[in-house]
Amino acid sequence: MIIEEEKNKSGQGAASNHRASFVIAVAGNPNAGKSTLINAMAGARLQVGNWPGVTVEKKSAEFEYEGRRIILVDLPGTYSLSPYSQEEVIARDYLVHERPDVIINVVDATNLERNLYFTLQLLELEIPLIVALNMYDEAGQKGFRIDTAKMASMLGCAVVPTVATRREGVDRLIETAVEFAESSNRREMMAVSYGEDIEKAVRSIVEDMKQHGAELVNHGPSRWQALKIIETDEIVLDEMGISADDNFLKQATHHLSKAHGEDLETLLADTRYALAAGLTREALKKPETRKRELTERIDAIVLNRYLGIPIFLFFMWLIFKLTFDIAGPFTEWFDAVISGPLTHWSAAVMTLAGAPDWAISLVTEGVIAGVGAVLIFLPPIFAMMFFITFLEGSGYMARAAFVMDRMMHAIGLHGKSFIPLLLGFGCNVPAVYATRTLENPRDKALTALLIPLMSCGARLPVYLLFVGVFFSAYAGTVLWSLYILGIILAVMVGWIFKKTLFRGEAPVFIMELPPYRMPTMTSLLIHTWEKGKHYLIKAGTFILAITICIWFGLNLPWGVESKRDSYLGHIGQAAAPVFAPLGFGTWEAASSLITGVIAKEIVVSTMGEVYTPKDGDDKEKNAPSVSEELKQIGVSFVGAVGKAVGNVFSTFGIATISMEEEEGTESLKTAIKKNFTPLSAYAFMAFVLLYVPCFIVLVAMRHEFGTWKWAGVTIAYQSVLAWTVSFIIYQGGTLIGIG
Amino acid sequence: MLPLAFLKEDEVAEIVESPHRYGYGHQYRHGAWKFRNGVDQLDCCRKRKHSDDHLLNIGLRPGKYVRMISNSGAGPLVLLIDECRIALGRGIAMKIYVRRIEA
Ligand SMILES: Nc1nc2c(ncn2[C@@H]2O[C@H](COP(=O)(O)OP(=O)(O)O)[C@@H](O)[C@H]2O)c(=O)[nH]1
Ligand SMILES: [Mg+2]
Repeated sequence: MIIEEEKNKSGQGAASNHRASFVIAVAGNPNAGKSTLINAMAGARLQVGNWPGVTVEKKSAEFEYEGRRIILVDLPGTYSLSPYSQEEVIARDYLVHERPDVIINVVDATNLERNLYFTLQLLELEIPLIVALNMYDEAGQKGFRIDTAKMASMLGCAVVPTVATRREGVDRLIETAVEFAESSNRREMMAVSYGEDIEKAVRSIVEDMKQHGAELVNHGPSRWQALKIIETDEIVLDEMGISADDNFLKQATHHLSKAHGEDLETLLADTRYALAAGLTREALKKPETRKRELTERIDAIVLNRYLGIPIFLFFMWLIFKLTFDIAGPFTEWFDAVISGPLTHWSAAVMTLAGAPDWAISLVTEGVIAGVGAVLIFLPPIFAMMFFITFLEGSGYMARAAFVMDRMMHAIGLHGKSFIPLLLGFGCNVPAVYATRTLENPRDKALTALLIPLMSCGARLPVYLLFVGVFFSAYAGTVLWSLYILGIILAVMVGWIFKKTLFRGEAPVFIMELPPYRMPTMTSLLIHTWEKGKHYLIKAGTFILAITICIWFGLNLPWGVESKRDSYLGHIGQAAAPVFAPLGFGTWEAASSLITGVIAKEIVVSTMGEVYTPKDGDDKEKNAPSVSEELKQIGVSFVGAVGKAVGNVFSTFGIATISMEEEEGTESLKTAIKKNFTPLSAYAFMAFVLLYVPCFIVLVAMRHEFGTWKWAGVTIAYQSVLAWTVSFIIYQGGTLIGIG
Repeated sequence: MLPLAFLKEDEVAEIVESPHRYGYGHQYRHGAWKFRNGVDQLDCCRKRKHSDDHLLNIGLRPGKYVRMISNSGAGPLVLLIDECRIALGRGIAMKIYVRRIEA
């Protein structure tokens, strides 16, 4: 083993100089705790989850440390510097091209050997490196004893034990990182020695590169480049403008290939692994016998061949049930507040201020009815996000992928593709980006095409509205059935795509299953908020703007008698016949669906506006006093809390949302009850589930694939699918007499 | 020697051969870097070997001891390597050869 001296970056004279700002990259294997560690260091709120592939984009967080600005860069998890999936490419490119001032390599202490294999590759980048020996608590629980001093001296870099979730060791880590960034002392880092033959070849390639000069710089240190050339690493060759059968390359590796066979890459990897294994043997003491851990006991049940899928379906059902039970009462309360007091207070205030009638109507019938209709569903959306966050944090996510692997094979994908699909239940947009964890472009495109069939949170308001009106007795189950309908159709559509657009084998399924972990309440709440806040922001900006447009659509040409004769009314009437065979051929439904193309919540906000009776001033009869109403709001909120708690603890299957005959506040629900039957309501919900993804998803697809092609395919197949399925539901239901 | 997929639950084995030594991986090696620059290159399929091997990187390499945690005879299986649980598709598990170790 030769010890190579780290070359210092240019221009740092003194032994230690205070720098105004510097960049620390945090790299390591997936699920080692990188994002958690950054959150602990910088007080950031980067997304954390207990499954490989949470971070697919490099994210950064900044913090102040004794007068310095420190930028932490969170990289997607990587197993190696020769990337395999797209998110690994992101990490690799950053480290090689941007060259951060310091690397913090997060190492999972329970899995030293494989993590050190990556550490050895990082060391070759010749950037000051600190090992954060994370999950130190779990290693302790397993009875591992790690000699960190020995590790540090062998690796020639600092090793700091940390427990990111409890902030242990974090301060020392920051101190060490600052010291490393600022000291210009030469550090002796370990370099793997690959044997005399290869080292000789490395030296000669380095010489050659020096003569070639300029065009080869800035793609990593020369020794590293030379090694990659020997490995015929395609990316490096590409960056250096060398083709694999270049003479230069042939010459350099000729005698090596002769001596060691073609596969030099494996030879180098083996050397690194041998060294990583040696380091691990030296530094780690394992207990004699291995305990059977909780994770294994849970897995024995959850991954069981027969129980796996039923258990998964049960968990899904439980999520919808709980979402409804907990959030339902709050939605009712919120609804009552918005459509009651809030509406006539703002009307009263505006009248006092002398606002014209049309402005009052714009605010009450447009903004409050429209945005309000979306806002009242924030409680269930947040509840749902909470449960999805829990699934991610517990480690069950990766198990769901495993359990669904066989079903996914039917559609030419493997289990890993199921994770983006499952995430789609929260929001389709991050789900599209999550396809980056898939290694194969074909899988990625096929998965992205199926994502819009996963019912996202924005569709929830539509379901909740209709379920509340027609199916309150078995709300959770009806809701669940819609999500399952989405999954089943995804399988069917996927199968058709596999036979047509995406021929070929399902790729190899390899995925790590992390241990189960109990997510902490604070981290659950933070990440629920991070996910859910987008709905709030969207409601306050995008949806607000659209509802105003819709109000104009419903009130122009100026002075129309009824909304039916407005512009939007006319459009709705023109489109209505298309929907007639599906059971909802009214202009109201048609115009809601049309505006809902922009975002699915808008279906509900349009309905809120469309079904608000024009000239609702008869409501203003002897309004109660403000203080009385405030008291009423408080009392009903307490009631809602009680009801939510009661729902959770009462046996499953209890009726939760009941149509309470409150005066006035229920105008939207009453209107819907008049205009739909249970059957057409279900057909309508299915239609909303299936028809074109929202605009933002289309943009995300374009962004991920660099072409509108897949977005176009999605629009086309989904329109056909939605119409067909709703048709079958409505006509089939009518035939057998459910209508 | 037997394919990894034939190992029963709770059996321990040493990996003897793993496909990366035999130029395996036409389809799954190249995946990563075709998406560089965010360009959709779905239809192009460069017939070159990707310079690394995921199996190896994830820790599945000859000489390692593995324990079968879950193997139901069909569908994917779960292995324990050191402290790490790895789910593997059956197809690839048929191509990895192991030697049983008596417990
Ligand atoms: N017990 C324990 N769990 C940790 C520690 N650090 C992170 N975790 C958990 O490990 C999981 C993965 O963390 P994350 O930061 O998303 O990993 P990343 O993929 O490397 O960014 C999460 O469930 C964390 O709560 C630690 O030091 N000890
Ligand atoms: Mg992360």
